[in-house]
Amino acid sequence: MTCDEVRLHLLDYQQGRLRLETQSTVRAHLDGCSGCTRADAVEQELTRLLEHRLPQHPASLALKRRLATRWSEPARGRSSWSGWRSSLAPALAAAAVLLVAVPVVYYERVASRVAREQSAMVAEAVNDHLRLLSSQHPLEVESGGLHQVKPWFGGRLDFAPVVTFEGDADFPLKGGSVAYFRDRKAAVFAYARRLHPISLLVFRADGLPWPSRNLTRIGGLDASLTSERGFNVIVWRRGELGYALVSDVDAGELRALAERLARAP
Amino acid sequence: MSVLANQALAYVDALHNLARYLTGNETDAEDLVQETYARALRAEHQFAPGTNLKAWLFRILRNTFLSSYRRQRNDPTVGGLDTVGAEAAGAAASDWLLGDVELDRLRKVVADEIESALMTLSEESRTVILLDLEGLTEVEVADVVGCAVGTVKSRLARARAALRHKLKDYGR
Repeated sequence: MTCDEVRLHLLDYQQGRLRLETQSTVRAHLDGCSGCTRADAVEQELTRLLEHRLPQHPASLALKRRLATRWSEPARGRSSWSGWRSSLAPALAAAAVLLVAVPVVYYERVASRVAREQSAMVAEAVNDHLRLLSSQHPLEVESGGLHQVKPWFGGRLDFAPVVTFEGDADFPLKGGSVAYFRDRKAAVFAYARRLHPISLLVFRADGLPWPSRNLTRIGGLDASLTSERGFNVIVWRRGELGYALVSDVDAGELRALAERLARAP
Repeated sequence: MSVLANQALAYVDALHNLARYLTGNETDAEDLVQETYARALRAEHQFAPGTNLKAWLFRILRNTFLSSYRRQRNDPTVGGLDTVGAEAAGAAASDWLLGDVELDRLRKVVADEIESALMTLSEESRTVILLDLEGLTEVEVADVVGCAVGTVKSRLARARAALRHKLKDYGR
């Protein structure tokens, strides 16, 4: 199989849509072709970009209610909806059921979606932490103190990260870098606890599905404490900024750092 | 409400998302989705049980957009211009050798930038990219856009190449 042929199949290969034999052929080609391997990586990155960063535009609740209500009613002279033919009695019965059931169903769906999005937020924080750990240059600025790290972000972000905790003997500040949290840039402050790295991600909070239940009061703020893949994660927001603290240190120790960070500036 | 109608409502978010990327604004997207459901109800008897309801609704939405909505608006900037020329796709394809540079840039692209880049593509390109993201098979995408199955693969490849070409100026 030539490089051109392999590249035509890359997307199908990544999605497992090829026949077993072709899948094996493409895989064998990729093992021995650096150009196609790079092409494969670029296609994967584009897919990841589309799946994770392309803004989604779900229907508003108002539109959902409007559709559900109209579908449940017989025609009332609306030209666009006049084709909905059903007898009046079943329609009214359906409408009665619908008026009760649809909001419940939709609220459940919304609640379910929000829960998934919140889970995705935590997963993203852990992924960012892992990316930093696996990076050859996890720190773009080495710390000589908070007064060195914070100014370094100037011009690299479209917001000013508000962090006042300079680190201490328990949680020294190691440095900082710029990462991406979902669809936006994030300032990363790298702290440590003994040999355990700790990442504090700071990002714009707007448009994210912030948890509203099972919150814990930390340093005067409501925070969500969870764990994912063996990492403890604490997220909270203050004003227009969101914060995600991630590490494999003990949950109690991470909370101790969160309390230092969450104190009012 | 019929079983089909009930099932169809489950896809309103996906339909609205495509409508939003076709029309470019919220008001028109809502109108398009409402008209899609109206047409779907009128054509309910034409739906073949056992086939993909989501793909069927996408086809109605796209046909509605093409047949009436776009003509009424007569807006040449919304799906009227095919900006995915062979030249752009070819240029993107030749960028393979710059894989590492491109990879680095792609990683820095943010949400607004990829949305802007996607909106500059033709309606056809936006549609195949979004339908692919929705998880439709090539057969289903072919049914939605009304082309041969083999054509979907090349259209999708061209559309993605054009998107990469648009994105090369971002993430610097």
